[in-house]
Amino acid sequence: MDFGARTDTGRIRENNEDSFRLAPELNLFVLSDGMGGQASGEVASRVATESIVAHCREAESDSSMPLVGVRIAGVSGAANRLASAIRHANDEVRKAADQNSEWNGMGATVVAVQFVGERMSLAHVGDSRAYRLRAGELELLTQDHSFVAEQVRRGIMTQKEAERSKLQNVLLRALGAEPIVDVDVQEELILEGDTILLCSDGLTRDLSNEQIAAALNESGDEQAQEAAERLVDLANQAGGGDNITAIVVRRTAKPVGAFARIGRWFKGSEEAS
Amino acid sequence: MSKLVLKFENSILQELAMGEKEVSIGRSPDNGIVIDNPAVSHYHARVFNEEGRLMLEDFGSLNGTFVNGQRVKMVTLKPGDSVMIGKHTIVITESVEVRAFSLDHNASRPAAPKINETVMLDTKERREFLQKVASGGESAQVAPTRLKVPTLVVKRGKTDQKEYNLTDKLTVIGKSGWATVKLKGWFAPKVAAQINRREDNSYYIGGADKVPSVNGQEIGHPMKLSSGDIIEVAGTELEFVFRD
Repeated sequence: MDFGARTDTGRIRENNEDSFRLAPELNLFVLSDGMGGQASGEVASRVATESIVAHCREAESDSSMPLVGVRIAGVSGAANRLASAIRHANDEVRKAADQNSEWNGMGATVVAVQFVGERMSLAHVGDSRAYRLRAGELELLTQDHSFVAEQVRRGIMTQKEAERSKLQNVLLRALGAEPIVDVDVQEELILEGDTILLCSDGLTRDLSNEQIAAALNESGDEQAQEAAERLVDLANQAGGGDNITAIVVRRTAKPVGAFARIGRWFKGSEEAS
Repeated sequence: MSKLVLKFENSILQELAMGEKEVSIGRSPDNGIVIDNPAVSHYHARVFNEEGRLMLEDFGSLNGTFVNGQRVKMVTLKPGDSVMIGKHTIVITESVEVRAFSLDHNASRPAAPKINETVMLDTKERREFLQKVASGGESAQVAPTRLKVPTLVVKRGKTDQKEYNLTDKLTVIGKSGWATVKLKGWFAPKVAAQINRREDNSYYIGGADKVPSVNGQEIGHPMKLSSGDIIEVAGTELEFVFRD
């Protein structure tokens, strides 16, 4: 697995309210976009990412740890654990908001993935997204929990209208909003060469799917960090209207084992002689 | 304000803005920066502000803390310093609050209008909206009690069953041990294709090691399945139907 991340304040905002955490030892990658006055968005997104990683870390060492919330049918234990971690994060964001009056009403989106072999659990709340690049084609894996996205799904607005709407920033779901959060959970197949992009809306507002796909396609093996930086730079060049964060994770080809090693062995001896 | 950037080899794992509070570093999950590696002590070191200076203290860790290659006990940190703990590095950067770009345009450019900031629809509005959404979609949806079961019926090819009910969100077609639709035969691909159930209970088929065809057409993008669709992949033909 090759991975990297980058966050930037952008060119307009004064604070960066996005947070991310990469925990490769757990194969876990988390991104959150905070909101709220008095810089509390920064707090909310940080509490969210930290508590998700902490919950998954704890579950790794104690598999009997009970789930927060109800078990979702039709998805694996790992996916249920990820949903549990997000519900736990909702509790933690609300707890933090209660402790400080300036932080009242703060909230955050989240998108998180965890890899187990060829399967990826994906969970999200809000309008932070996950994409998969497979064989050069970019596919959006998540559905935004936003007012305009819902209107598009209902056929009331077109995609074009949604992209121009002044209500793009209105979310229907977020961490911190209510005592119980409804988490979207899904599982995906991840093949060798597949690239996963997690991003905040700052990236997708400034870049088209084609630009994102091109930037990811350009980056080669072992260049996930460079790809994340490139995407954020491009979004900044295109306007940088919001905080911008990208996490790039690529499933690299497995070393082919004994045959490759034997191949290198002989190749090596040829070079020496 | 200083920022701590946690790196492993070339990859950035975490960024943390230094506030008033100190940041502890270690293997224990309650640290501000957690490095889950046996070479790192449970409470390894801390970074804190003292009289406007950024300080680093090693808590007598077993494997030590290194700043720019030197093992340290207590040092002042400056931007650009690189703190090595186990195989991880923490780079100290100065996070610039007001960017050069904004400075140039400050006079002419008013502060970003607050109206663009992400907001949540307040609770009452949201409930009303979601109710409207639910009732508006009713005619198109089947009541949950009469929910039809999406089923794959094998028309041709070697599989372990004749029919499959799609109960999981992810259905894999292939030879792999965890595939739902298990293909048999020497040359069957491990994971030929996948079917995902989306939040609105629609089903989408997408390619994996193979490009499937739906009703005789190869699909480029994941495609929504309708009852009666014929899927062909890796020499197997499957009919997608909703059963009562």
